[in-house]
Amino acid sequence: MSWGSSRVSTIATAEWRLWMRSKSAIAALLAVVLIIAATSVLTAVRFTEERQERAHQQEVAEETFLSQPARHPHRMVHYGHYVFRTPPPLAIIDPGVDSVTGQSIFLEGHRQNTAMFADTRASANVGGFQTLSPASVYKVLIPLLLIALGHGVFVREREARTLAPLLAQGVSGVTLYAGKVLALTALSAALLTPMLIMSLIGVASGEAASVSLAVVAAYGAYLLVWSALIVLMSAALRTRGVVLGCLVFVWLSWSLITPRLAVASASAAEPSPGKLETDYQLKADLRKLGDGHNAADPAFNALKANLLAEYDVDSVEELPINFRGAVAQASEADLTEVMNEYAERRMALEIRQSHHANGFGWLSPTLAVSAASRHLAGVDLETHHRFLREAEAVRFDFVQGLNKSHVEELSYADDIHRNQSAEASRRARISPENWSVLNEFRFQPATADERFGAAKAPISMLTVWLTTLIAVGVFASRRLKP
Amino acid sequence: MTAALEAVNLTVERSKQTVLLDVSFGVAPGEVYALLGGNGAGKSTALLSFLGLLTPKSGSARVQGRSVTDDLTAARRVTAYLPEAATLYEHLSAHENLAYFLSLAKAAADRAAVDRALDRVGLQPEARDKRLGSYSKGMRQKVAIALALLRDTPILLLDEPTSGLDPVAIDEFNTLVRSLADDDRAILMVTHDVYGACQVADRIGLLRKGELVGGFERPAEGRIDTEAVHAAFAGRTVA
Ligand SMILES: Nc1ncnc2c1ncn2[C@@H]1O[C@H](COP(=O)(O)OP(=O)(O)O)[C@@H](O)[C@H]1O
Ligand SMILES: [Mg+2]
Repeated sequence: MSWGSSRVSTIATAEWRLWMRSKSAIAALLAVVLIIAATSVLTAVRFTEERQERAHQQEVAEETFLSQPARHPHRMVHYGHYVFRTPPPLAIIDPGVDSVTGQSIFLEGHRQNTAMFADTRASANVGGFQTLSPASVYKVLIPLLLIALGHGVFVREREARTLAPLLAQGVSGVTLYAGKVLALTALSAALLTPMLIMSLIGVASGEAASVSLAVVAAYGAYLLVWSALIVLMSAALRTRGVVLGCLVFVWLSWSLITPRLAVASASAAEPSPGKLETDYQLKADLRKLGDGHNAADPAFNALKANLLAEYDVDSVEELPINFRGAVAQASEADLTEVMNEYAERRMALEIRQSHHANGFGWLSPTLAVSAASRHLAGVDLETHHRFLREAEAVRFDFVQGLNKSHVEELSYADDIHRNQSAEASRRARISPENWSVLNEFRFQPATADERFGAAKAPISMLTVWLTTLIAVGVFASRRLKP
Repeated sequence: MTAALEAVNLTVERSKQTVLLDVSFGVAPGEVYALLGGNGAGKSTALLSFLGLLTPKSGSARVQGRSVTDDLTAARRVTAYLPEAATLYEHLSAHENLAYFLSLAKAAADRAAVDRALDRVGLQPEARDKRLGSYSKGMRQKVAIALALLRDTPILLLDEPTSGLDPVAIDEFNTLVRSLADDDRAILMVTHDVYGACQVADRIGLLRKGELVGGFERPAEGRIDTEAVHAAFAGRTVA
């Protein structure tokens, strides 16, 4: 019997003792702990393998490209190359966009391919747990456990009429409120231990400690929002059924209804043009630029005239450079400009939609913590877009590098006669040293500062939710009545 | 001297119904005041008002000269309350219940003191570590009484303290209440037990439908006349 300890912790301890004496509470707790353990282990294993796998595949892709024998430079443009987005260490907590966007891109000349799902064995055979990440368990499932265990904190006492003798001991309503919130907070903290371990694993795999702990803190704040709300409702409403009903409604609205509303509202406010339509439009725009494979395409007449003038010769055959290579180079630059314009337009739209949807975090702390977690873990849309841009830079550089070799290393005569004989074809090849134009691609996560910057808005939302709920709870509990 | 407890024109509404109307009385230290009334007369309401758990519509409930609503916590710290139907925690044992409530009250009581109090109210030692869920009504009542004793406050508010007790335990309880009052405590006891009230009270107030309709005072020698109180309680007028 601890007479000296503060009342707040006495009240919290009493709540824990009640849970520990309830078989159903213990069963619910055990079930949730098992689910956390299972998803944590599975996600950790999956993403650790995936990180290694994608890093490995990246190396293999580079080696394969570099070890190609002597070839015609344009064959290498079409041989292409793969780049992979390795997930950041904290993807073991929140896979973020990884589950909905591709993680690898095939890079080749004249086109920007869309990201594909990286084909890794690691992701096979994990069944439904693949979509059940630790992040989603903490966002959706743990609040349900907090509701199940916490909805009665006050209303149970009110119904059993123990609230009057409790208050009669000279305990203020605010102290009671604090004690009950502390009980749920301690429970949340205990349940956050696996996430803390995961974040430390993240740190061990090279993640900044600040963001790793900030992710855990964000979920801590989110669960505190729930705790404060649960205790407030339990204090303010008269019967257990009503409290439970209201809390389940809030849960549905925060975790299911508002997110859907956010997506619907975002696509209504910022409608995406149909994919078929845009693809068609892009193709038409590209066609106007001419076919870079065909040096005789009238689209390149200006280029031809310029070059002939520059070198003061009368025909492309007399040029000291390979005209076909020059066409490929110019055409690639033009195509890329148009493709980038389309890509940037699409990405800007996606960002506007994402910002619009994230604004609904003012209505749902679940959305706010999702956004905070994605930004902090470095698995947000912005990071995926950076991957797309960096991949595009790699693509453009190696394609243009090859085109430059095409211009400088291969004569026009050899080039146009390459199909005449086996010997002619051999003459139209350039040495593999030219393949070193390929830049190494190692996708780097954003810095801690950048991620904190990106997470600022959802973190403020969580802060406002938390302070408001606690303020209302303290205000309401000052007038607590049995 | 100032009364330890004082109702001054106390009027209380519950669910928009007036349940106490213009009730005034005082309880001095060393005195047992019994508020006698039938079911729904407003007895419990009066006690809850002294605890600040209900706020008066008009008038005031005063503890040691100050309106309860001025400083709820101060009033509650000098007051021990025995709730109606001894509502304590069913999932806790007698020892655990007492330990919890007393630690919240910051009342200094060690295990030995707790057991002395439980001895005093006559709760069997073998029951003390069993959960209240398995207790009879009387046993719970004893635990609640022990809690009020252990608070060791100058003021006691007792809601139907003898309900559920057997006649022997009632006699013992009444003796206990008397001795507490003789230690200069102010005791406000609400009950519908005419006999018990007459046995221990220095004064009796008769509450009917929220109004104080009569009063009795113990004569210098002996007790309040049970017959007269009974007649008044039953609505008959006595000479
Ligand atoms: N929680 C409550 N809410 C509203 N009215 C109540 C409540 N409790 C009691 N009442 C009403 O107040 C009146 C007085 O009740 P109470 O003080 O409990 O009477 P007593 O203790 O004398 O039996 C009754 O009419 C009762 O119906
Ligand atoms: Mg009553």
